[in-house]
Amino acid sequence: MLARLHGHGEMYLRLVAAQVSAQLQYRVSFLLQSFGQFVATFIDLVTILLIFNRFPSLAGWTLPEVMFLYGVGTLAFGFSDLLCGGFDSLSRMIKTGTFDRVLTRPAGTFIQVLASDLQIRRVGRIAQGVLALGLAISWLDVTWTPPKVLVLLLALLSGTIIFSSIWVIGAAITFWTVETSEVTNVFTYGGAELVSYPMPIYADGIRRFFTFIVPLAFVSYLPALYILDLPDPLGLPPILQVASPVVAMMFLLAARGAWELGVRHYQGTGS
Amino acid sequence: MAMIEAHDLRKTFRVHRRRSGGLLGLVRRDVQEVEAVVGVSLSIGEGELIGYIGPNGAGKSTTIKMLTGILQPSGGVASVAGLNPARRRLEVAKRIGVVFGQRTQLWWDLPLIDSFELLRHIYRVPSSAYHERLATLSEVLDLGPFLNTPVRQLSLGQRMRGDLAAALLHAPPVLFLDEPTIGLDVVAKARIRELLARINREQGVTMLLTTHDLADVERLCTRLLIIDHGRVIYDGSIEAIRERFGNERTVVVDLEHAAPPLCIPGVVVTRVEGPRQWLRFGRSDTTAAEVVSAVAASARLRDLTIEEPAIEDIVRQIYEHGVEPKRDGDAGTGQDDRTVVSRIT
Repeated sequence: MLARLHGHGEMYLRLVAAQVSAQLQYRVSFLLQSFGQFVATFIDLVTILLIFNRFPSLAGWTLPEVMFLYGVGTLAFGFSDLLCGGFDSLSRMIKTGTFDRVLTRPAGTFIQVLASDLQIRRVGRIAQGVLALGLAISWLDVTWTPPKVLVLLLALLSGTIIFSSIWVIGAAITFWTVETSEVTNVFTYGGAELVSYPMPIYADGIRRFFTFIVPLAFVSYLPALYILDLPDPLGLPPILQVASPVVAMMFLLAARGAWELGVRHYQGTGS
Repeated sequence: MAMIEAHDLRKTFRVHRRRSGGLLGLVRRDVQEVEAVVGVSLSIGEGELIGYIGPNGAGKSTTIKMLTGILQPSGGVASVAGLNPARRRLEVAKRIGVVFGQRTQLWWDLPLIDSFELLRHIYRVPSSAYHERLATLSEVLDLGPFLNTPVRQLSLGQRMRGDLAAALLHAPPVLFLDEPTIGLDVVAKARIRELLARINREQGVTMLLTTHDLADVERLCTRLLIIDHGRVIYDGSIEAIRERFGNERTVVVDLEHAAPPLCIPGVVVTRVEGPRQWLRFGRSDTTAAEVVSAVAASARLRDLTIEEPAIEDIVRQIYEHGVEPKRDGDAGTGQDDRTVVSRIT
C-alpha cells in the first residue's frame, strides 16, 4: 500500500515537473501570464476595499476580518485551481481522444488526469491570496495560539480539498455532457467569490446549501469564526468551526465516487 | 497460445437525438441504438501480425477500444495476453502497447527522451531493463539523431518512430496499432512497415494493425480480417483475398481529347470525366500492358495511372460475389511482380 502510494507520488511529481519545465521554456510568456492573473484577481481585492470605503462593516464584519476571509478563500481556490487544471480540461481530453490514452495506461484515471495539466501561471492567484492574508493578519489583533495556527493551516488544506472536489465533480459530469458545464463555473469561480464574504450576508437557503450540500462555508467562514473569536449569528454548533478537515474528506470521497461513476459511463459509451 | 481473442464481442451505443427544436426538444429525446460491433470473434496467435481492415465506421476502432480496455463490451468476451481487458484494465495495460497514428502519446514540448523517462515511471519499468530496452529500440528505430529534440520539432515519420518506441518501452507482448502509417509520405510509410516487420520478427511481438492502406497489409501481414457493419466478413490469408478479389485493376487514362467510352475487349469503362477515363479489367482476362496498347492504338494517350483496389472495392466485391470467407491455407500463388509480401512468421 505504502509502496503503491509512493509510486503514485513519484509518477505525479515527475509528470508535473515535466510540464513545469516545458512551461518555463517560454519564460516571458509565463511571467506575463502570471502577472496578468495577479492583476485580474487584484480587482476582487479592490472591490472589497471599495465596499468598505462606503460601509464601515458588512454583516458586522470589519475590513480586516473580511480581508481574512478573502485571503483564506483565495488561497484555497488558488491551490485547487493550480492542482486541478486537468479536471478543468477533461472536456478537451475527451474530444481529442487523450482520455482514451489515459485508459490504456497502467495507472488510475484520477491520478493521471490530476497530473495532466498544471499551469504555473496560476500562481498569480495564489500570490494574491498570500498578499490578502498577509494584510489581514497584520491588520487583525489575533493572539496566535497553536490551536488557531493549526485551524488556519487545516482550513487552507480543507478549502483546497473542497474546491478540488468541486472541480472533480464538474469533470465527472463532463463524462455525460462532454462540454464543460457552466454550472461547474458557478461553484468554482463563483464559489471563490462566495467564500470571500461572511455567510450571514446571503439568504437562508443559499447559506444552508453551501453548508450542508456543497460545503463552501467550511472553506473560510466557519474556521474564521473560530480563529477570530466571532459570534455566529446563524447559531450553528461550534464544533463545525473546526470540522473542515472531516467535511473536506467526506466531500472528496463523494467526488471520487462521482469520478468513478463518470469513468464507468465513459467506458460504456465512448466519446 | 492465442494472445488476442474475442468471442462474439458486441458493442451497442445509445445515441440520443433531440426530437425537435424548441423547449420540448430539450426534454424529449429519441434514443436510438446503434450497433457498432455485432458479434466479432477472432483469435490471434503469439507472434502473428494481423491486418484489421474495413471501411470507415465499420467498427475497427470500437473493437480495438474494447480489446485495450478503453470501452466495456455490451456483450461477448475478450482476452488479451490471457486477461479480460473489461475486468482487468490495469493488468492488461502493462502487457500491451497502443499506437494511435493520429495522436501521439509523446509530450509535445519535451525532448523525446523525456517522454520515455516519464513513460518509464508510468509503466514502472526498472531502470536497468529500461536502459537495455531503450538501447535496443533506439538502434532498431534509429532514434539517436533526435532523442534530444522536442517532439513538436520532429517530422511525422520521426514522431511515429518515437511513438513506436514509446509503446514498446515496457516490452509488451502485444501491440495494437491504429492507423500507424496515416499521413506519412511513401518513404516514411515504407520505413515504418519495415520496422514493424522487424520488431514482429525479432521480438515476437503480436500485432494487430488497423489501416486504410491496403499496401500496409500486403507488405506486412500474412493474415487479415475484414470487418464491415460491425461483423468480420473475411478472416484468412492475404494471398487468398488477392486471388479472389484483388484480381481487378483499374487503369486511368488521360486522352488528348474527350472521347466516347473506349471499346476494348475485357475492359469495362467505369467512369468518364472529360478526356479522363477509368478502365476496369480482370488480370486473368488481360494485362495492363495489353490494355494500354489497345488504348494507344485507338486514341492519343497523354498520361496513365494504375489504381490498386481500395478496401472499399474489396468489401463491395465480397458482397457482390457472396463468397464464403475461407481460412488461410487455401491460398494460391496470387503473387505478382508488383507486390512483395514480407513473410515474417
